[in-house]
Amino acid sequence: MVTREVTVMNRAGVHTRPASMIVRAAAKFRAEFLIRKDEYEINGKSIIGVMTLAAEQGARLTLVFEGEDENEAVGAISRLFESGFGEEL
Amino acid sequence: MSLVDTTTERVAEGIGVAPGIAIGPAYLYARAAFEVEERRIASEDMEGELARFEKAVSRSERDLRKIAAVAREKLGESSADIFVAQALMLRDTAFHEAVVEHIRRDRMSADYATHVVLGRHRQLLEAGESEYLRERANDMLDLQDRVVRHLRRGKILSAIDTESIVVAESLTAADIVLFSQRAILGTALDYGGATSHVSIMARALGLPAIVGMHGVTEQVVSGDMLVLDGLTGRVVIDPTEDTLAFYRDRRERYRQLQEEQKKIVSLPAQTLDGRKVRLAANLEFMEELELVEEYGAEGVGLFRTEVLFLMRKRVSLSEEEQFKAYRRIVESVSPHRTTFRLLDFGGDKMLPLGHREHNPFLGWRGVRVLLDKPDMLHPQLRAIVRASRFGPLRILLPMVTELDEVYAFKDILSALYEEFEKKNVEYDPDIPVGIMVEVPSVAIKAGRFAREVDFFSIGTNDLTQYTLAVDRGNDLVADKYQELDPAILQLIRQIVEEAHACSIEVSVCGELAARAVATPILIGLGIDEMSASPIYLPEVKRVLRSIRMEEARSLAAQALQARDAHEVTSLLEVWLREHDCDVASMLEA
Repeated sequence: MVTREVTVMNRAGVHTRPASMIVRAAAKFRAEFLIRKDEYEINGKSIIGVMTLAAEQGARLTLVFEGEDENEAVGAISRLFESGFGEEL
Repeated sequence: MSLVDTTTERVAEGIGVAPGIAIGPAYLYARAAFEVEERRIASEDMEGELARFEKAVSRSERDLRKIAAVAREKLGESSADIFVAQALMLRDTAFHEAVVEHIRRDRMSADYATHVVLGRHRQLLEAGESEYLRERANDMLDLQDRVVRHLRRGKILSAIDTESIVVAESLTAADIVLFSQRAILGTALDYGGATSHVSIMARALGLPAIVGMHGVTEQVVSGDMLVLDGLTGRVVIDPTEDTLAFYRDRRERYRQLQEEQKKIVSLPAQTLDGRKVRLAANLEFMEELELVEEYGAEGVGLFRTEVLFLMRKRVSLSEEEQFKAYRRIVESVSPHRTTFRLLDFGGDKMLPLGHREHNPFLGWRGVRVLLDKPDMLHPQLRAIVRASRFGPLRILLPMVTELDEVYAFKDILSALYEEFEKKNVEYDPDIPVGIMVEVPSVAIKAGRFAREVDFFSIGTNDLTQYTLAVDRGNDLVADKYQELDPAILQLIRQIVEEAHACSIEVSVCGELAARAVATPILIGLGIDEMSASPIYLPEVKRVLRSIRMEEARSLAAQALQARDAHEVTSLLEVWLREHDCDVASMLEA
C-alpha cells in the first residue's frame, strides 16, 4: 500500500472535469484507489465519489493505492493534482 | 374543451431572439414533468424494471456521446468534457449499482431509485462552500432528467417526433443541440435574454425563438395550436382562422425575403454608386464562427470576449486557454480581420466578484475595471497579441471615458511589446487599437480621442441610454429608448467628422447597425463599417445596395432636422417603400 498527500491547486477545485480526468487515469491501473478527505473516504475510481468529495482549492487529500502497480498509479494521479488539471491555478 | 374556447385566441409576448415564423402544436417540455413520485413495484415486475433501467442508461449514454461529439466540434474539448463526465457517471458503481440495489432490495421503481441515488449525491455537492462545486450539482440534475426522460420514453419523446413548437421554462445547450436534430419548428421560453446561450444557439441553428416570456409554460398545454413570431416576440395561442391565415401569409413573405437575401450574400457590400461599406459580424460564441462566411460578413467587427468567460462561470481564464480560443477565431476569420473587444464587465454584465453597486451603469465597468485589475487585463492582452501572428486583428477598449485611460493602456501594450521582443515571441507590431464610443462625453471630445487611437466603434446601445437617460431594461420608460433620436444621430455625425479628419475609420456595432431600416442614415453619415449579428447582414446589404450616397446623405440631413425618432423612422420607411425595398421590421402588423 502506498499513500500520498496532495493539495488541490487549481482555482475551481475538483469539479466535474478534473473528477473525470482522475477517474479515467485511475481506470488504467489495477491497484485499488481510495481518496481520503478529513473523515470521509471514497472510491477514487468512481466519478460520483470523487465529485462528492467537494474538494476545493487548497483542500488536502490523501491518495491511497493498493495493488501491484500502485507505484505507477500514485505517480500518475499525483501529477494530475500537481498540474492543477491543466486549469487556472 | 368547450366551443367557446376554440374561438378565443390569446397572445403572449416576450423577446424575439431568432427571427422566423412557426405555426404548429405546442410541445410542453418541462422539468416539472419529471417530478418523480415514490413508487414501489411488485416483485414479479422487478426483472422488467431492471431491464427498463438498463435501456434508459444505454439510451442516455448514447445521447451524451452524441452531445459530447457535437460540443467538441462546436465548442471545443473542455466543453465536451462535461458530457463525457456525465456519461461516466451512468456506469459508475455509485450510481448504477446503487440504483439496481434499490430496485432489487427495496422494490423501488427505476425512476424513484434514480431520483433517490442522484439526489443523495447532489445534496453532498450542494452542501459545499464553493460555488463552483455547488454548480456541479446541476450536472447531476441534468443526468437525472435525462435518465428519467428515457425511462418514460414512450410517453415523452414520441410526442416530439411530430413537428412542434417547444415550450419550456428554459433549455440547456444540450437540449437545443438534440432538438435541432428533430422536427422542431421553434421554441418559446419563460426565461433567458437575447444574449443567453440558448438564444445564440437558436439563431445559429435558424430556429425561430422567443425568450423571457414569463409564464408561457403556464398558459400553454401540449397540443395547443400556436403561432410563434420570432420577429415580434409574439406567441398566439389557439389562433382563429383569420389569424392563422394572416400568419401563413406572413410566413410566406418572410420566406421570400430570406430567399432573396440568400442570393445577396455573395454580392459586394456597396452602394449603387460604388461606395464600399464593410459589413462585419458581432460574435460571442465559438460556434457562431461559421456564420461569418455563411452570411457574407467581411470579418468580425466585434468579438465580445466576456462571454467566453461567463460561459465557464469563471472570473479568469488562463492566458493559454484564451490564446487557443483567440487563435482559432483569427485563423477562422482570416483573411478578414477580427476586432476583439477587451473584457467589458460591469453594467448589466456583472462578474461573480461578489461586488454590488447602486448604479452599475455609472460605475466600475469596462476599461475602468481592466486598468484596476491587471490580473484580468494582462493574460487577455498577452493572449490576443500572441494570436496576432495567426491573422489580422484589432483591439477595442470598452467604456472609455478619459484620454488618460487610453494612455495608460498604450503604456501597458508597449511594455508588453518590449517584453515579447526580448523573449522573441512572434507578434504583429502594428495591431490597431480603438475605443468604444458609447459615452456622450467621448462623442463630444471625439476630435481629441481621434488623434490617439486607430479607430472608433460606436456602441449605439449605451450611447443611446446615456444620452437620453433611459434604462431600456425598465418597462416604465423603455419606449423612450430610441436609437434614431436626432440627438444620437447628431453625435454620430460629429464622431464621424472628427474621425475622418484624422483619417481613422468608424464602425457602428450596436443594435442600430442590425436595423436595416436605419442603414440609409448610417451610410449617409459616413459610417465605414457596420457590425451586427450575422443573420441581419443580408438585409442590411440589400438596403445598402439599393441606395446612392447622394440620397443617403440627403436622408441623413433630413433626419438630423427631424423632431424625434418617430419622424426619422417614418422618413426612412417611406423612402424604403418608394424604392421597393421593404425590410422585415416593416412586415410588422
